[in-house]
Amino acid sequence: MARFVASIPRIVVAVLLVAAIINLLIGVFLRYVMIPVTDWLDVDSIPFTWVEEVGEMMLAWLTLVGAAIGVRERTHFTLHVLRFSPVRQAWIDKIHHVLIAVVGGIAAWYGVKLCILNHTLTTPGLEINLALLYASVVAGGSLLVVYAISMIVAPPPLTSPLEDASHQALQ
Amino acid sequence: MLLLVVLAIFVVLILFSMPIVFALGVAGVAGLFLGGYDLQVLSSSMVSGSQSWVLLAIPAFVFAGGLMEKCGMSHALVDFARALVGWVRGGLGMSVIVVAYFFSDICGSKMAEVSALGSTLMPPLTKAGYKPADSASLIAAGTAMGMLVPPAIFMIVIAQVTNTSAVALFLAGFIPAATIMVCLMVLIYLRARKYNWPVDTKPSVSLIVGSARRAAVPLVIPVVILGGFFLGVFTATEAGAVVAGYAFFAACFYYKNVSLREMAKLAYESAILTAAVIFLLAVASVFQYLMGVSGVPMLLAHVLAPLHDMPWLFLIVTAFMTMMFGMVLEGLPAAVVLIPVVFPIAEKMGIDPIHFNIVTTASVGIGLFLPPMGVGLLMALKFANLSVGQHWRTYMPYMAALMVGLLLIILFPELSLFLPRSAGLIK
Repeated sequence: MARFVASIPRIVVAVLLVAAIINLLIGVFLRYVMIPVTDWLDVDSIPFTWVEEVGEMMLAWLTLVGAAIGVRERTHFTLHVLRFSPVRQAWIDKIHHVLIAVVGGIAAWYGVKLCILNHTLTTPGLEINLALLYASVVAGGSLLVVYAISMIVAPPPLTSPLEDASHQALQ
Repeated sequence: MLLLVVLAIFVVLILFSMPIVFALGVAGVAGLFLGGYDLQVLSSSMVSGSQSWVLLAIPAFVFAGGLMEKCGMSHALVDFARALVGWVRGGLGMSVIVVAYFFSDICGSKMAEVSALGSTLMPPLTKAGYKPADSASLIAAGTAMGMLVPPAIFMIVIAQVTNTSAVALFLAGFIPAATIMVCLMVLIYLRARKYNWPVDTKPSVSLIVGSARRAAVPLVIPVVILGGFFLGVFTATEAGAVVAGYAFFAACFYYKNVSLREMAKLAYESAILTAAVIFLLAVASVFQYLMGVSGVPMLLAHVLAPLHDMPWLFLIVTAFMTMMFGMVLEGLPAAVVLIPVVFPIAEKMGIDPIHFNIVTTASVGIGLFLPPMGVGLLMALKFANLSVGQHWRTYMPYMAALMVGLLLIILFPELSLFLPRSAGLIK
């Protein structure tokens, strides 16, 4: 059960990526295939401005949730300039993750405010509530806190291939 | 003053190996807090920075590139390039550069490209008698050049940062990339004569036709991109979707060697990579906000005023800085930190934004492959089992060739501007 809950954000971003691409393809189809067809049949064209709204909203969710997962997966660009002993580095990492949690917390908190501020507004095409857009930063910020704490409590072992490469090459 | 404190926090955190994006985030929050600005800027920047139509091209291209690589399209391209230039002395070396040119078309990420080229090309190079140091140099230099071949994630990001057309930038990249390619080819030819590198394959019509047929599937993509953009049919985002759809159909009905489970895994990996890229851009916009309110661009414009009459010198200085940033910080962080500061000045000096962006793209590409820290180079060296110390002497002429190419791109803006202008995208 715990494992399933933990995998939800991962499933969400993968589904969002596929959905975003399909959404774009629908947009291309409507614009390049259906417009000539409806023109030819002399009927009203099918609107496609909503594709942009949906796509942008999906990308915001994908980015902010994915960035939080990236904390756990260590996918964010990192420089290794100074080298410390493993024990010291582990402590430094803990401090980093406290700071990351703080940033995530602030982002989520002000995200809630943005949701409240914008909840009466809707997008022009599909009339989607803008609170749904700003909820992405609430979700992303909260997940940042969760993943950062998980990295403090139980960090996964270091196994980045590039890490090996830089070690090897700098020797 | 405020900005100096922010910058100091950023640098200290980076030195202690904090992920760059969060170092930016922490420093940005500190700056907002100390400067008495609304912390809401953080949350709203995160959202406004990531809900972007142009950036939607990134997940599409990343996924498409990953899928095409899994199908084995890189092998088809390698075979085709060998058939094309293998008959020249040093032909295998040249084919590495040709492959890098075409492969950059289907591959979104530099790291993925280096590892794909390294794993497919290192064995034949070694077998043909190339020294590991030369093989690694060929792969590194070729991939550095490939930075300019669209679709490049970097170009999409930089188009967003500088508010220029991604399509125009994509089109602009083809000729400058070819310019660097020619420089590298000349170098390889000279080295091949000097060190008596082997001739690879004798050309036979059936060989060329056969390999061309296999390479046709991946080569549709540059044709679609170049043609679609030139005719003004597509936006960059739509091109991304079409390429992703094409890759999906090619994988399902032509190659049939990627399972749905692998595709799902790829979707997840692409999503995480996309998120890392766009999140960086979004968080950096907090930084840009702070720089804007502190008047940094004005200050820099003042400092760089003496260069006003020499745009080429300004571009050389910028290219050098970008290269150093690219070597130390990787390409994208360099783009989001440095470019927003320098770009307004370039615009004021009358440098065409497209030309400016091509120069910075090329510089970042080269920076990624500069010793001793460029991550791309480190990756390439991993495949050759070499250290930077063992490699740099052999690599010097290759770096020189890259620099000559870059200099040509700087001195002749027309190289960058010809295609987008012919397509009517710029005046």
